[in-house]
Amino acid sequence: MLKAYKEKYYKNNFQYILVDSLGKIIDTDDSIIPSESKYSIQEVHPFFESISDLFTISNQHYDFSCVNLDFEKKSIIADIVIYTHDNNENIIIIENLTEHYNRYQLTAQTRNESVINSQILELKNEYLLEKEQFKNNFIANFSHQLRNPITASAIFSKFLSNTNLNSEQKNYLDIILSANNDLKYRINDILDLAKIESGQLILNETTFNLKELLNKIATGYQIFATKQNLDFETGFDPKLPSYLVGDRYRLKQIIGNLINNAINFTSKGQVSLHVSLNYIRAEKASLHIEVADTGIGIDKSEHDSIFERFTKVNPNSQNNRNIGLGLAIVKYLLAQMNGNISIESQSNLGSKFVCNLSLKTAKESHKLLEVSHEIVYPDFDKKKSILLVEDSELIQLSILKILSSNGNFFLNIISNGEDVIPTLKNQEADIILISNTIQRYSAEELARSIKELSTAHKKIPILALSTEVFKEDLKRYKRSGIKDVISKPFDDKSLLDKLYKYVK
Amino acid sequence: MTTSKKIVLLGHFGVGKSSLIRRFVENTFSENYKVTIGVHIFKKVVEVSNSDSISLIIWDLEGQDDIKKTRSSYLLGTNGFIYVFDLSRPITFENLNSELEFLKENFPNIPVKVVGNKMDLVTKLYLKDYSEVFGHLVDFFTSAKTGSRVDNLFSKLAKELL
Ligand SMILES: Nc1nc2c(ncn2[C@@H]2O[C@H](COP(=O)(O)OP(=O)(O)OP(=O)(O)O)[C@@H](O)[C@H]2O)c(=O)[nH]1
Ligand SMILES: [Mg+2]
Repeated sequence: MLKAYKEKYYKNNFQYILVDSLGKIIDTDDSIIPSESKYSIQEVHPFFESISDLFTISNQHYDFSCVNLDFEKKSIIADIVIYTHDNNENIIIIENLTEHYNRYQLTAQTRNESVINSQILELKNEYLLEKEQFKNNFIANFSHQLRNPITASAIFSKFLSNTNLNSEQKNYLDIILSANNDLKYRINDILDLAKIESGQLILNETTFNLKELLNKIATGYQIFATKQNLDFETGFDPKLPSYLVGDRYRLKQIIGNLINNAINFTSKGQVSLHVSLNYIRAEKASLHIEVADTGIGIDKSEHDSIFERFTKVNPNSQNNRNIGLGLAIVKYLLAQMNGNISIESQSNLGSKFVCNLSLKTAKESHKLLEVSHEIVYPDFDKKKSILLVEDSELIQLSILKILSSNGNFFLNIISNGEDVIPTLKNQEADIILISNTIQRYSAEELARSIKELSTAHKKIPILALSTEVFKEDLKRYKRSGIKDVISKPFDDKSLLDKLYKYVK
Repeated sequence: MTTSKKIVLLGHFGVGKSSLIRRFVENTFSENYKVTIGVHIFKKVVEVSNSDSISLIIWDLEGQDDIKKTRSSYLLGTNGFIYVFDLSRPITFENLNSELEFLKENFPNIPVKVVGNKMDLVTKLYLKDYSEVFGHLVDFFTSAKTGSRVDNLFSKLAKELL
């Protein structure tokens, strides 16, 4: 009974081939793989060519599962079993499992692809990080190299402006000064962004006088706007608190960048700054800042992208806004201060940037601290001597010029790291300035070896003249005994402030 | 005279074993990944010298993350191995040493060529960074995509098999 069913449901899934020990076909059919017309099994498919040695050993059993075989007219996936005998008759059994294995292939396909994708993603992230880091390092290095020339050019332009110049020369010098300033800001912007992207921009909170800050910004931009033939209008809410705690420099940068942006894109009409108080709650003051202009405006489609760095929105659009980095920095700083920014603008109808941010209100006792910030430069009984270790001639000259016009310091200049210790053994110094660009020596190394000289030397304040402004750099300096950093580009005031602060 | 030799390609999945073979046999390449299951067998006759040619029967194995998982019948009677890894995926060469050790122990006199594939995806700097891991072990840096060093690989092995 079973036999009948077996025949009825017999699946033609197997093929049997009989070969001798050399592979000559004794008996076969064409049911799965075409072989009837072949003389030897080796001619049937290269698979058999490569295993034909196995037929020479009798009484063996070999199992090849999932073998993909391509023929002219078809491809199959089969399990192939071989039994060798000692009567020179070897049987090859081919079980066609193409369908079964094709289903399995799909599973394997999905599994492998998802595993590989996750690995590639990991790698991509790694690559991206590397690239990002490279970019940030590049930016930092590049801007460092610009710092010495910018410092010198600013300082000497300033000294030049104090000489007798005719009005034409004064005009030219004004342009040089303002171009130099511009350059300085742009480089600082680039560095700020590099810091932001590497997570190193931290807010530096102090108590400050808000009204004073706003008035300073107002006067500064009043002059700038007038030069561009624009009206500059301001309005400050009388309810604004006088003192707040926050990063004064960054708040100024937010407002300044917005005004700069407005002035850049307004050829006639006015630019305005309005600051008001939203509320004071839980010792926090929420400020509302509006910067409006009557300039070319910003198309709605561009409202989001203008906050991205390096955007030059839509090169085909007629208002070719080359925004630079300012707005990207504003957006980031606001986010750090739990603030937000939005734009109300349409092409040709001017723009209004509106932001809200909150800062801590100052406690009474803190308010007094801030007043005595300005340093007056007193004269000393005896001139102080400064040892400058710096290999940039531009910086050497700049410092020489600043100190000689101040008149309270002797300057002793060394360009080589090797000369530092021998010089200090023979000469006194009241303060030591070390540049971070000395060849073969880092400022920290030099500072450490100075400190090791003697207890007297240990007490000499050492300041770094540095192009490095990242948090880690500053920490590194502190650890090596460097008291403070004068960052390049610097001007006469920032140099003298630091010298007077540390000189004994 | 033509002799026939069995070459087996081994390595993790997706490293480009099938692609290297396709480049060598048909001189084509596809970006699409079709996972090999079991084993796929190809043949190409190469001239080794004026009088000698060699019929390479190439076994393209399903990728394994551990060589020990390979079905042992596939490795029977192998004349030469090509161990392939993917330069762009460190996981495929992390255990290169022990993988090769397995071959050395079980197939002591059979030549093995070690191949870092997908050369087109990585930079010189990257190679340098990783050279500690595989530098001294690799025989060929190939790209199935560009075809770089693929023929050299197979013909070098073929010569050694004669
Ligand atoms: N860029 C690049 N891609 C390659 C190269 N070789 C292979 N690939 C790609 O890598 C993927 C996997 O290639 P396969 O040749 O199928 O890999 P395999 O080693 O045979 O994989 P399994 O059969 O699963 O073991 C495919 O998408 C190929 O296009 C190469 O040299 N360069
Ligand atoms: Mg494959």
